Amino acid sequence: MDNNKITELRRLMKSRLNRPMRYYLDLCTRCGLCYDTCHVYYGIPKKEYSPVGRSEVVRRLFKKYFRPSGKLFPYWGDATGLDDAVMDEVYEAAFSCTGCRRCMVHCPFGIDIPHILSMAKLLLIGNETAPEELVMLADAAVEKGNSVEFFKDGFKEVIGNLEKEVRQRLGLPLSEGLIPLEKKGARVLYVGLSGAHSIVHPAVVFNKAGENWTLSYFEGVNFGAFVGDPGKMELIAQRVIKEAIELGVEEVVIVECGTAYRIMKFLMGKLPFKVSSIVEVIHRYISEGRIKVKEKVISEPLTYHDPCQLGRNAGVFDEPREVLSLLAADYREMSPTREYNWCCGGGGGLVALDNEEFRIKSGKAKKDQIVATGAKIVVSACENCIMQLGTIQSGYGLDIEVKSLTELVAENLVE
Amino acid sequence: MRDAIYYFVMVPMVYGAAAIFISGLLFKLMVAVFSPGIKGKLGLYPRKLPFIAGVAKDAFLISSAFKKDKLLWFFVMAFHASFILLFLGHLELIRNFDFLQIIPHNVFLGSGVVGIVLIVATLYFLFRRFRSPWREISVPEDFLLLLTLFVAMLFGSHMHLAARYGIAGFDIPLEDYRAYLWGLVTLKPVLPDGITFSPHYIIVVLHVFFANLFIMLFPFSKMIHSVFAFFGQSLKRK
Repeated sequence: MDNNKITELRRLMKSRLNRPMRYYLDLCTRCGLCYDTCHVYYGIPKKEYSPVGRSEVVRRLFKKYFRPSGKLFPYWGDATGLDDAVMDEVYEAAFSCTGCRRCMVHCPFGIDIPHILSMAKLLLIGNETAPEELVMLADAAVEKGNSVEFFKDGFKEVIGNLEKEVRQRLGLPLSEGLIPLEKKGARVLYVGLSGAHSIVHPAVVFNKAGENWTLSYFEGVNFGAFVGDPGKMELIAQRVIKEAIELGVEEVVIVECGTAYRIMKFLMGKLPFKVSSIVEVIHRYISEGRIKVKEKVISEPLTYHDPCQLGRNAGVFDEPREVLSLLAADYREMSPTREYNWCCGGGGGLVALDNEEFRIKSGKAKKDQIVATGAKIVVSACENCIMQLGTIQSGYGLDIEVKSLTELVAENLVE
Repeated sequence: MRDAIYYFVMVPMVYGAAAIFISGLLFKLMVAVFSPGIKGKLGLYPRKLPFIAGVAKDAFLISSAFKKDKLLWFFVMAFHASFILLFLGHLELIRNFDFLQIIPHNVFLGSGVVGIVLIVATLYFLFRRFRSPWREISVPEDFLLLLTLFVAMLFGSHMHLAARYGIAGFDIPLEDYRAYLWGLVTLKPVLPDGITFSPHYIIVVLHVFFANLFIMLFPFSKMIHSVFAFFGQSLKRK
């Protein structure tokens, strides 16, 4: 690695030395309480996959370039300089972590290790060794934001077809307006994903609840965050923010995508509208009597997987449980659960990478949890989780069905 | 020559350590506080307690450690509680504080138990790091800090416990400690004969030397967790 590259990477590191990063980099005592709290370590017990093992990769570089002790006595703190071998370690640390923050729950100082790893991801971008798939997807999302007019006609055509499906599901004579677009005066802007299911099921719910809503042209998923590019993350999120402000909506409802929800709700600063997850909205509609679900309609044992970004990182624990307890005659809780729940291994953009074997191994904790419940239906409320649960199901040959919460509700609405 | 070295450790090095400790701590705080903030929130859920109560509970009771490793939690709590008593004990070596004598006790408080608890806890922390997986995640700083602390505490504890054997001349009177430490505080350093002529003067010097070393390393090592822990816990609840 030449000196120019090292200088550039050091500059990138410095750009991420915000206040929380300073605290987190200095705080760790290597007590090891987080050591076995990562689902990847559970499946592949190697130091590299322990939270402290990952954060030390970044911390050693930080000491080398930003601490006098690291420059003068690198031995003291194991300070390491940048080279190609270290960059391989940086990659392994950054892209084996889903950003679930289960380690943070167990850390006696509350160190946010994924926040530390955001520096690792930025180094990989600077080194041009970030996962190409994620870079391309992030670029495509940014580009869509820049030239949305170009996409609109094609999108409207697709939505027209989806409206027919929604009409059929609702048993209505006409399909026009069932998935409104660019509706000024709408109360809710719903942000879906690129998959039809992420639009059809919520559309059924919104129409049934008589909601004054409109669909976003953009997908909620934020590949800028997954790849670790703060600039692209901002641009991708701003597409929706701009759209919501232009339409003057009161509430932005985010599809079952934990990361999209957390970014919009907690990482974009103060916004002029309320941000909710579709799960919270469904719960609200049921509580207000705007929709009714068939009670105890599911007789097979059912369990719920808390998406990390929705649960411990956003506090949406009770709403999905209350909805599912209405639907299921035999609801079973996973153990450990809620903030201690194991990550499935699909977050942080990992499901978009060519790493299925790794994800099956790192999904072992989740597999063991599911098996222990004896459930036949596993429900979650995050696209990444649903995909990863599918990988775990096929990888371990589990006799389970994986369902999304919105889908389950939309399929079981009282006429 | 020997007297000069001893004097250096007992007086100039103490001032140097105090200066490095205070300026280092201020420097670290300034760097962190004046670093750019972020517009988002990095909190975790659920939050069952109000902000201040939650931060205090997590920082002082270390509930995450209690859930995960009860033996470690026990030693961590014993260590930190004893460390507070150690601090108070040293305050009373400087001068009398009436408010510290609400429960009347001899100076140094704890009848020697404080030092023993600290030594045992430090040894637990040290030996724990000899085992896998903690061995793999440890860096030299982890061992060297614990060793420095262990040696400083060993000599300190010895000074306290050996005082019982006054007949051997090991007992350095409280007045002499107070004359020495009050002299340091008031910038009129003196080394009373009761200390310098004691057969245990070398032990005092070694105790002060390792304590100085530890104090100097404090702001620039992981010991900063004693300050930054509150910031980390605050971010977790924002």
